[in-house]
Amino acid sequence: MRIGIDVGGTHTDAVVLNGDDIIASTKALTSADVVSGITDALDTLLHDAGISSEQVQTVMIGTTQFTNAIVERRELSTLAAIRIGLPSGEGIPPMVAWPRDIVEAINGKTYMLHGGFLYNGWPVAELQTAEIDAMIKDLQANNIENVAISAAFSPMNAAHEVSVAEKVKAAIPHARISLSHSFGRLGLMERENATIMNTALLPFAERVVDSFLKALKNRALNCPVYISQNDGTLMSSEFVRTYPALTFASGPTNSLRGAYKLTGLEDAIVVDIGGTTSDIGVLQSGFPRESNVVVNIGGVRTNFRMPDIMAIGLGGGSIVKDEGRTIGPQSVGHRLVQEGLIFGGDTLTTTDILVAGGGANIGDPRLVADLPEQTVSNAQACMATMLDRGIEMMKPGGQGMPVILVGGGSILVPGDLPAASQVYRPENAGVANAIGAAIAQIGGEAEQMVSYRETPREDAIRLVTQAANKRAIDAGADRATIRAVDIEETAIPYMDEGATRVRVKVIGELGSRAGA
Amino acid sequence: MNKIEAAQLADLALGSVFLATGGGGDPHIPQLIAEQAIEKYGPVTVIQPQDVADDALVVSIGGVGAPTVSLELLPSIDETSRTLSAFEAHIGRQVDAVASFEIGGGNSLIPLVAAVGKGIPVIDGDGMGRALPEAQMMSYAIAGIKPTPAVACDYAGNQCAFTTSSTEVYERHIRSFAMAAGGMITAAEHPMSGAELKRSIIPGTLSFSIELGRTLRENRGQVGQLLEPLKQVFEKSIYGECRLIYQGKVIDKATRIVGGYDIGEATIQNFDGQGENLNLSIKNEYLLARVGEAVVASVPDLIVIVDYETGTPINAERLRYGHRVAVFAIGCPDFYRSEEALRVVAPRCFGFDLDYIPLEQL
Repeated sequence: MRIGIDVGGTHTDAVVLNGDDIIASTKALTSADVVSGITDALDTLLHDAGISSEQVQTVMIGTTQFTNAIVERRELSTLAAIRIGLPSGEGIPPMVAWPRDIVEAINGKTYMLHGGFLYNGWPVAELQTAEIDAMIKDLQANNIENVAISAAFSPMNAAHEVSVAEKVKAAIPHARISLSHSFGRLGLMERENATIMNTALLPFAERVVDSFLKALKNRALNCPVYISQNDGTLMSSEFVRTYPALTFASGPTNSLRGAYKLTGLEDAIVVDIGGTTSDIGVLQSGFPRESNVVVNIGGVRTNFRMPDIMAIGLGGGSIVKDEGRTIGPQSVGHRLVQEGLIFGGDTLTTTDILVAGGGANIGDPRLVADLPEQTVSNAQACMATMLDRGIEMMKPGGQGMPVILVGGGSILVPGDLPAASQVYRPENAGVANAIGAAIAQIGGEAEQMVSYRETPREDAIRLVTQAANKRAIDAGADRATIRAVDIEETAIPYMDEGATRVRVKVIGELGSRAGA
Repeated sequence: MNKIEAAQLADLALGSVFLATGGGGDPHIPQLIAEQAIEKYGPVTVIQPQDVADDALVVSIGGVGAPTVSLELLPSIDETSRTLSAFEAHIGRQVDAVASFEIGGGNSLIPLVAAVGKGIPVIDGDGMGRALPEAQMMSYAIAGIKPTPAVACDYAGNQCAFTTSSTEVYERHIRSFAMAAGGMITAAEHPMSGAELKRSIIPGTLSFSIELGRTLRENRGQVGQLLEPLKQVFEKSIYGECRLIYQGKVIDKATRIVGGYDIGEATIQNFDGQGENLNLSIKNEYLLARVGEAVVASVPDLIVIVDYETGTPINAERLRYGHRVAVFAIGCPDFYRSEEALRVVAPRCFGFDLDYIPLEQL
């Protein structure tokens, strides 16, 4: 049996799964200390499921703790950001384009060293021993223990990053060090940004993982613990102590993966209807379709891939105007239970329309008995049109596609949708995030720039795949089950014919190795 | 306008991506380096082409190579001014002002870095008014300006001077130097007198790109609300007409590298799946748009794809299956409609078997 927990900003949701069957689910409030919110959810869950803690084999946690820390500029530790690339990049040091407030919150030091590599394998410059030694002296003088190291073209050749890291470690044995090649993709500034944010979160990651483990231990759950990443795969809780930044934006991913788990549909549109918006995403082969735009986290450019989500202003608290012809984007949000008509308030919302139309029995239906029939039918038509148009825009082709409705607001749309070949309203749609967290796969990804003239295509893909496999195994995947799910080859303009960026993503089943 | 401040660079970068018509590379890093250069040396002085003395020496400067490489091999703050100094040493004369190769993409910003580093003005204008894939398509070349003597420098200060028989030979040689030097170099080329500048430059594009960027930023959001302000800003410029020619999602995109260029096609389908698709031909830039058999816009007029939700321009490298987009067509500056210009930038020069028909007549 597995437990999936989604620790959100306001709610902590949890589910128990036996294979693919949902045994029990619960929603609790997220507590300030995180621990008691999780233990509360676990108490309800274990009780409702009627199981003992020994029966639980794995716990998977999805969390927004690290994203929120970056966005809110809290729990960030001071650090040194080292870039190896001189003489290139002189004058644009690390964090140069970051918002002032996060730079101040981190209050770090930056260093630029000679070294790094070119696309063709030649060094940009050789490492300079004296330069490195002087930097290490300065780190020691400033008592810096968290270190982010990035180098030009390190995804292709990490030798200079590794070499500088070894020297830092030798001089400062307890240093926490993040290396940029662990964050894959090409694009030095974005990869460096990810590495620095990750480093700033390292001490907090220790505390968060400790508190997760403590909450589980309180309920005698001593099984392996995994945490979800932004691409919908898992990493071991120990891995998160080193790579907390990989949890960024795992929330929307878990909701999409949960919808997949609830329906078994590999290719579908998922609409997560909340209080204020409907978030429309696309499942391709059971995973979220990724967005191709540069992703900002707390105002900092990163190279993380995020699900392609379109948000439209339609939720359970959306305000209805013009006799039902205009809906949203304004919403009463979580104040629905005070301001909605059926709760005795005086704002007409989509939930009031639902109740007036007989679609649900919430609050006091008598309070909407006088709503003109025309307003109700206008609003119903308007909601269906809004969703239909959104789905139409996200659909990959012109043909029909199944649509899965999840989230608390999914009851808003009772009928069929013309854009959908079929509409699915799975049970437990309200805790899709926690279900998404409870999936059991581990991923790995690698990217390199290669010349197909020098390295034959098959060899190049094999090399990149090996690097991706290693990442997956390090993160806890069972070696025997690993398979490539995506191979992306992008030819590079203005270069030799054959110059190509190769990116490989692999997925494997959760290994038996203990994660906690 | 006679100064560019650091705060205007984001608008310039955004406007330059729009004018890049799908090519040109991401200006993010050029923008960063320009911001740092202005912080270090002060704002950029901008001079109108008509205000340049006829006997002044102007040189165009920018990055040459693969934009993808400069994502790792970052430019440095003094690389362009060093290149300019090397050029001056090579020809034995001081340069009075610098100009841009192309306003589309990152090379709109590089001359600013050189200008402040050397303490000289930058010309309000460029050699393309957009982005185009080949050097002989530059207005400087069309007007008969020779690319050499030219000097190029790499990230480490290694130099190469060029004297070549033609623009085509120059292009081939400088690209091999770029490749050998790690994929990206800075070049000072097309030296010209003030008098030559006045007949060869596409004027006003630097200040226009800032105004365009501001319009895109202030009207960020769904394409419907962007169209009117966009039409207005183009109408009073050297470009003229701006049309929204299509809205829909990308259902197919296939490009491959041929001779260093990213060549291929993209297909866009109406959101409701009804009506005929829009077919786009790409050679680094978006060059030809057809709905069914009918041409709706072609090079040298500008074809621009923006994200449907935000109005942010999308370059051809990033355009992909599933993207929700709007397609704009904009008339090109009159310079590119002359007989001399059409000899090198008409649709046939890109392998399309059709005559150029100006946007307004389609």
